Formats: sequence, C-alpha cells, structure tokens
Amino acid sequence: MHIPDGILPAQVCVGGYAIAGGVTWYALRQIHKTSDPQAEIPKAALLAATFFVGSSINIPLPPASVHLILNGLLGALLGWYAWPAILIGLFLQAVLIGHGGLTTLGVNAAMIGIPALMAHQLFQLRHQLGQAFRPSWSLGIFSFLSGAMGLGLTVLIFFGLIIFTLPSTLDQTTEQTALMALLVAHIPLIFVEGIFTVLLTLFLLRVKPELLES
Amino acid sequence: MIGLHRFAKVSLRGGLLALIGGVVTPAIALAHGVEIKSRSLSAVQIQATYDSGEPMAGAQVQVYAPEDPETSLFTGTADEAGRYLFVPDRPGDWEVSVRQAGHGDIAVIPVSEAGTLAAGFTNTTGLTALQRGIMAGAVAWGCVGTALYFRRGKH
Repeated sequence: MHIPDGILPAQVCVGGYAIAGGVTWYALRQIHKTSDPQAEIPKAALLAATFFVGSSINIPLPPASVHLILNGLLGALLGWYAWPAILIGLFLQAVLIGHGGLTTLGVNAAMIGIPALMAHQLFQLRHQLGQAFRPSWSLGIFSFLSGAMGLGLTVLIFFGLIIFTLPSTLDQTTEQTALMALLVAHIPLIFVEGIFTVLLTLFLLRVKPELLES
Repeated sequence: MIGLHRFAKVSLRGGLLALIGGVVTPAIALAHGVEIKSRSLSAVQIQATYDSGEPMAGAQVQVYAPEDPETSLFTGTADEAGRYLFVPDRPGDWEVSVRQAGHGDIAVIPVSEAGTLAAGFTNTTGLTALQRGIMAGAVAWGCVGTALYFRRGKH
C-alpha cells in the first residue's frame, strides 16, 4: 500500500510533503501540550517497531501481495504519537527495505497517518457511544471499527491518488482493472486488521489497561 | 420503364468497373511480391517481480530510447512470468518503466556501442541475508527492550 517513487507527478509529491509537514507540526504541538510528553514515547517506539515489522510481512493475495499496515491500531493506541511513529516507520521502510520512496514519503505519511489520527478519534468515541455496552464489548466494537477504518481509509486514498494521476500513456482500462483487483484483495485484510486490533486491545485490557488510555 | 433505365445504368457502371479491374489487377498483383531479409539483433529481456517474488504478470511496460525520455518508443504488456522483450537499436541508457495497480519501477539499462549489455543486468540492489538478519535482530531487540522497559514498573 506504499506508493513508490516515480508513480506520482511531482506536484502531488510536493503537496504530500506540505500536508505531512503541517500535520507533523500540529501533532508535535499537541504532544508538547500533554503533562508528560516523554511518558508515551516507549509505547510509541514499541508500536513503531510493530508497524515496521507488520508492514514487512507479505500476504500473497493476487494480483499482488498485500501486507499489514496496522495504522488503525497505532492510531487507536497512540493518539497524536501515532503520527511521528508512522513517519519514522515509513522513513525506515523506504531506506532499509525499499517499501515506498523518499519522494513519496510525504504522500505515504499523509495517506497512512491521517487515517490513523481519525481512527483515534473513533476509538475515543467508545467513552460516549459505548456506554450502552459492557466495557469489554464496547472496547471490542470500537477497536474493530478503528482498526478496520484506518486501513479502509488508507486504501481509498491510495486508489483515489492513483486513479486521478494515471498518465495518459498508460492503458487506462488495464490499469483500472488491476487497481480494482487490488482493492478487492484488500477487503479481507481490512477485517484482519480490525480483528487484530480487537485481540490486542482486549489483551491489554486484561494485563495493562492503563496503556489503553493515551 | 424507370426500372429498366436503372438496370441499364447499373450494368454500364459494372462493366466499366470490370474493365478497370482487368487492366489494373496484374499491376497490383505484381506489387504484392514479398521479400524477406534477416539479420541478427541483440534483444533485451526484462523481468519484473514484486518484492515478494511474484511476477508482475500483465504489467504495462514502456520503453524509452536514450535521447527521448518523454515519449515511449515501445509499449507492451509483460507475460505471465513478468517478462518483456525489446530490441534497442542504438547505444545509450534505455529506460524501462513497468507499472501495475499503482506499483512499479523504472530501470535504466545501459546499452554499449556494440549493442550489448552486462549479462543478468539488474537495477535493484537487494538486501543480503546478513543485512536482513541484522535488521530483523535490531527490530526484535527494540521490541524486547521496550517490553522490558514496561515490565520494570515505576520507580
């Protein structure tokens, strides 16, 4: 789901960096406002490592292989810290394993990071909307929604970006067909990520519930 | 009466066409003579795969000649194994773009004056097993270290 170098026009790459720069500034400002900004750093580091490893595991689903993203999970558990964690994870992936690229780092960060921040807002809604359920049910439902929504939104942004920037030299129909096949291949993964987020948050609720409150 | 008049016009036109055909046909038939020449050329075969090792079957391939990186000289589709074959007709750096479903890469293939290029040329510098091992170890150590940090509790 990472966009490599050479796929997007230069204007889009520059726009991606501009958006990522703005969000980085805002996220760091929000983090700085917390009472102890350093307290969450180990958790963010652990989940940044999980993001890095998770994104390196290929799951073969034709026509291409897909890999875990886990941005919904990071967003749910880290809040604003999810942004720097994803940014650092993406930079290391581009440099070390060639997933994505340096020209598209801003676009990839916006594509993966902004849905993560939105997933956090959705996860927080359990305090208001989840009152009707038992705490574990409420946590499970909103974890699933956050995990699934994070990846689902990323997939939609990816397809929007690719479809609207298809060069005229390419056979549009062939590329659109391949993109649709890839979109369909990601639907099971959206459920997998939702379920994975549920399992992890329920585990944390049992062993270290304070980690769920960021 | 009108029908007879039309029949006469049609048969006249048909006769005229037949006459022209009869005169012209031998000349056209002579122009259909075929000559086939042959010469041997060095072809370049590329093979595109995803980093998981799966071939990019059916991917769109565009080949750019050295002096014109804007307009593709050849376009086509990779086969089931992700392979595509083309014949560079001049020396220089040929660019080959492979793309499928928002994934893709560009390879620069240097072709010498003699039309040859390095055998098994590849533009990717894949990680060695040692590099991958060190990286996985570093990440695992990061996870273990962070987990230990949480286990120690507050002091």
